[in-house]
Amino acid sequence: MDAFRLADADAVVHRVLAGDPEAQESLYRAFEAPVYNLARRICRTAEDAEDVLQETFLEVYRSLSRFRGDGSLWGWVRTITASKALMRLRRNKYRDTDELHDDVTPMRRDDAALRMDLEAALQRLPETSRAVVWLHDVEGYTHEEIAGMMDRTVSFSKSQLARAHARLRRWLGEEAHA
Amino acid sequence: MTHLTMEQLLAIREPGLEPGVQAWREHAARCDRCQAELERLDQRVARLKALPTLKPSRDLFAQIRSGARVERRRRQWTRTGGVVLALAATIALAVVLVDRAKPERQLVAVSELQQVITRSQELERALASLDPNRGVLDGRAVGITTSLENRLAGVDRQIEMVSLMDPAVREREAIRLWRERVGLLDALMDARLTRARYVGF
Repeated sequence: MDAFRLADADAVVHRVLAGDPEAQESLYRAFEAPVYNLARRICRTAEDAEDVLQETFLEVYRSLSRFRGDGSLWGWVRTITASKALMRLRRNKYRDTDELHDDVTPMRRDDAALRMDLEAALQRLPETSRAVVWLHDVEGYTHEEIAGMMDRTVSFSKSQLARAHARLRRWLGEEAHA
Repeated sequence: MTHLTMEQLLAIREPGLEPGVQAWREHAARCDRCQAELERLDQRVARLKALPTLKPSRDLFAQIRSGARVERRRRQWTRTGGVVLALAATIALAVVLVDRAKPERQLVAVSELQQVITRSQELERALASLDPNRGVLDGRAVGITTSLENRLAGVDRQIEMVSLMDPAVREREAIRLWRERVGLLDALMDARLTRARYVGF
């Protein structure tokens, strides 16, 4: 994720620690989009993602002195974002609609009109599965890291990913080609 | 012929070599159907990575900056709170010593001052124990909180000056200021708890 790296991260970090409001804004502008994107991909609603965005930056400003600089700043911010978004999922306790997705509204393989695009299919996944797919396939976290963040087992992360891909494959009409 | 499951296809894509993965790779290499499934999986992941970056519908930096400012101010007066309270104890003692001629009245005043200081300490502890992540403050809540904390800082400055006042008025002033401090802390507590209820905790 080098694209999200600040031009001079060390200097910006020191200025934020000194309470420089311009540096706070520079940090925000550099990471606003990737933080929101990650939050939005995990959270169900845009409002939740906006709350995660705010909570993430408040945490970043509060804890920046603990950033050691041995990894990328974006990597550190990203982990805070993922943690806040997953925490919000747990707090909101949305009803997991696995059964609904699988059995109540089955999709006919040959009905091209009902085929979804990837964006809609991803949104339709249960939130835990969607979070695992995004963290693993897009953000590049390992199953061990995801299990740690979700306080679950590695097997749980692997099985969620497999179930999610099986659903995406079906909803995207890829079975028709198999 | 048994084809690879989704879990096995995904395991092939993982770095490292888990038990069985080598055999699954060999199978995929000679099975057209599993090879095609693996390619579709690769393409799906590539398409996920290529999805557009979603952006917030409004600029939230002003709210974040206000929130950060509120937190910084709270930390500051949590740090200075001990000094103010130590001063208050000194003032309470001074009030007792200055009015030797009226021992009954002085006992009442000290008791009242101690009660209000104790209440102030309790509220400070309760405020400090609230999780800052319980909910993000909206613009209106930030405005209210900032105003209350500014007034609180003003009262604290006046409390620090009480010992320099005329002995004839400082007993009354100390009690009045500490009462005002408790009122402001109560209002701050309400503002935070209202927000906590609003976000559903």
